[in-house]
Amino acid sequence: MGFFGRKKEQVPPHPRQEPRIDLPLTLESLKRVFQDCVDFSFREIDLAGDLNKRVAAVFVGGMVKMERASDYILRPIAQDEALRETDLHTAFRRMAGGALYNLTVDERKTTDEAVSDLIAGNLLLLFPGEKTVLSFNVGTEEKRSISPPENEPAIKGSRDSFVENLRTNTSLVRRHLRAPELRIKEQIVGRQSLTPVDILYLDGIADPDTVRQVEERIRNIDIDALLATGNLEEYIIDDLHTAFPMVAHTERPDRFCAGLAGGRVGILMEGLPLGYLAPGTVGQFFRAPQDKSNNWMLASVLTVLRYLCVFATLLLPAFYIAVVTFHQEMIPTRLALSIIAAKRDVPFTTVFEVILMLIAFEILQEAGLRLPPSIGQTVSIIGGLVVGTAAVEAKIISPAVLIVVAAAGIAGYTMPSQEFAGALRIWRFILAVLASVAGLFGMIMGAAALVIHLSRLESFGVAYLTPFAANGGEQVEGRTVIRQPLPADKLRTAGLKTGNRRRQK
Amino acid sequence: MNHNLRKKNKKRAGGGVRSFFLPSLFLSLCIPLTACKADILPPGREVENMALMRTMGVDAAETDGVRVTVSSGVQSKGADKGDEPPQVFYRDAGTVSGACLAMQSYGTAYIFYGHVGQLLVGEALAERGLAEALDYVERDIEMRLDTELFVVKGAGAFDAIASAATGTSSAADRLEALEDDAGLMATSATRTVKDVLAGQAQNGASFAPAITLTSGETGNGAGEGTDLSAAGFAIIKDNALAGWADGDAARGINLLLGQVDADVLELDLPGGGKAALRIVGSAAKVRPVFQDGTLAALEVSCQVDANVAEAPAALDLSDDTVRRRLNAALVAAEEARIRAALDLSQSLDADFMGLKKWAGLSAPWHWDALKDQWAGRFSRLEIRLRVEGDIQRSYDVKQ
Repeated sequence: MGFFGRKKEQVPPHPRQEPRIDLPLTLESLKRVFQDCVDFSFREIDLAGDLNKRVAAVFVGGMVKMERASDYILRPIAQDEALRETDLHTAFRRMAGGALYNLTVDERKTTDEAVSDLIAGNLLLLFPGEKTVLSFNVGTEEKRSISPPENEPAIKGSRDSFVENLRTNTSLVRRHLRAPELRIKEQIVGRQSLTPVDILYLDGIADPDTVRQVEERIRNIDIDALLATGNLEEYIIDDLHTAFPMVAHTERPDRFCAGLAGGRVGILMEGLPLGYLAPGTVGQFFRAPQDKSNNWMLASVLTVLRYLCVFATLLLPAFYIAVVTFHQEMIPTRLALSIIAAKRDVPFTTVFEVILMLIAFEILQEAGLRLPPSIGQTVSIIGGLVVGTAAVEAKIISPAVLIVVAAAGIAGYTMPSQEFAGALRIWRFILAVLASVAGLFGMIMGAAALVIHLSRLESFGVAYLTPFAANGGEQVEGRTVIRQPLPADKLRTAGLKTGNRRRQK
Repeated sequence: MNHNLRKKNKKRAGGGVRSFFLPSLFLSLCIPLTACKADILPPGREVENMALMRTMGVDAAETDGVRVTVSSGVQSKGADKGDEPPQVFYRDAGTVSGACLAMQSYGTAYIFYGHVGQLLVGEALAERGLAEALDYVERDIEMRLDTELFVVKGAGAFDAIASAATGTSSAADRLEALEDDAGLMATSATRTVKDVLAGQAQNGASFAPAITLTSGETGNGAGEGTDLSAAGFAIIKDNALAGWADGDAARGINLLLGQVDADVLELDLPGGGKAALRIVGSAAKVRPVFQDGTLAALEVSCQVDANVAEAPAALDLSDDTVRRRLNAALVAAEEARIRAALDLSQSLDADFMGLKKWAGLSAPWHWDALKDQWAGRFSRLEIRLRVEGDIQRSYDVKQ
């Protein structure tokens, strides 16, 4: 029985069919598979003009680069006089051996493989009497060109970013990390999307157990289509009952490679211009990509500022509610008088004002994100400035609340990971409600619950609070908050259990 | 198999959250049903529904008991609406707590004492005893121990608060100005309730700044009217007013305690004219002298630093003789001030400056003897005073 006594509907089983297409590998089978598909194409070609030696070329329109197929596959078949002298079986063997100028040629034995190749943009050659087919990679290479990262802008760093094409992305990683120890393993995820997902790591550095866990978790994903980040992310993380991101993602190959060099395992997938780094630890989300490009002192100051901003974005509204409603003696007298003057004639309680403003802030942010940038900016200006000012002048909201909520919101934007900032936003609401019930006691209890929650989280066997907790007895917390000069930063994070801890001489 | 294990782990983790979270949530929701909410959770109060009291005065009531007077500061009415004059409330009751509670019936706002920054005690009550007022500050959850304490000389706290509460100013404003100026005045200093209580507990005596109501041209720019002015110190012994220290005695207290940020000493020169020395620092030491195990004397030495603030053009400060003469005059003047403070302390038999503790710290091996003999001997103890002066700089551009 489900909620409210309603009977739970039995979900039918969803077994995976193996093989997916249980048909012999013939042209007829392929026609049947691609029945009612307008882009499915085939043509029969006479081998060197000999009407008795006819082969079939099969491809999917739009997936194949026509010039390449015509020039390097069809033309030699039609014009190579040497093929006229051979029988079909010999011609098949010669073509498999390199008679046709193509970088890759595979011999496919099953209909599943052949169909998969067709969809990937290969051209199949079917010879009468042969049980296998030749598959030539003549796919189009239409893709977005590599452009500067949009969400992680680089001031002093490489300006390339991942694109939607998986092989381009792995090539970008190869160009940054030329070590032959870089391993790239591939798995196909999604029954309908058949999306290639690559697992990247540096052999000898990454923890083999983490690699194994990543492979295993991806292998166990049995979904229809891998089209969005959540389709991967939510299936591989350890704990779904948290708002905090359990794996970090980046669109910058240099940052991705730094993660691999640090002992993390990377995940790239076809169709998404970003890469994941596992395991995810809390310190990782406080690091901005340009931190290592900045002077270490500046980077340290900025990191400390980010940590302070986390406290501000998380606690400021709750703290304001607590002191204004429960602990007025904590407010400096002049500030208290100023708050009283500002709150005169405002009809709402402090709690309601703060919660209302927090919700309004979220709505504005959400509206700004869903609209085109130019309109989004207009909405932000109208919402933030015009409506905010009007609300204060109309005595609906006190200016102090406006300042507190705006300061808390802006402080959240300093987080390099907006997913982490999003989790803090949720906890900001929880803490504000707790503060409205029990003042500072409630706020502190909420903060304690947050620490307990974070301390229970693990990402691929690594404590989420690493290195603040589970740091292997090393006093490295300070190094996380304050970036050391790079020549002094000799060891990889102990919590990642890397094969080789030393990162430099 | 590993996958199954992971699924089991995930299930366990999720189940753990549910098994912990849901009962906790359920129990939390049940809290209001226990009718214990008021006891468990602190009561909330909107800040705009409060009247923040800034100054509290305690006087002896005409009948038995106390009169408590409280005053708010000048409060803005909001944007472009001007200011609200300070509110002054008073109430007679048997105790300070009773009067404060009774005043809650005034008006609609909650009278909040958490921002009381100054506590004034009228002379009559101070003579009767300050224990009641100080005890209230010590025990009340809203009052603070860092509240500044003042004793009103020659009047009651009500008079002081009421006279300072005008349309544009309040007692808090005037007293805060006095606190800010204390560093610039040689005859005053700020003392919190905590300082006075600590002094009482450690030395049996303490002191607090005294203020007085002055009328006529105040000289502070306020024009004709009644004003609050600093009037030295009130000496408190056994929780009651024992005497006043003003003039040289008040300056001597500040010199001994090193609270001389800006005292100007005017000296008459032998050849006519005046020189002004700005006292910029003082440091005192107190040492007990024992003879055959008996406390025989107290040696008090004080180093006073001064700068030449003004000097007649004819005065040649490069001349050693002139400088020595100035120095001697400085030493004589400051010695007289310190002596006046020490004499007052001995005449009242009130160690309000903590000389015993001071002496004990400089000779801890005599502490037991000092404790035993101090009470009976202090008032007639020989105090050997030695003052040294040092005129440091003259700011003479010609040099």
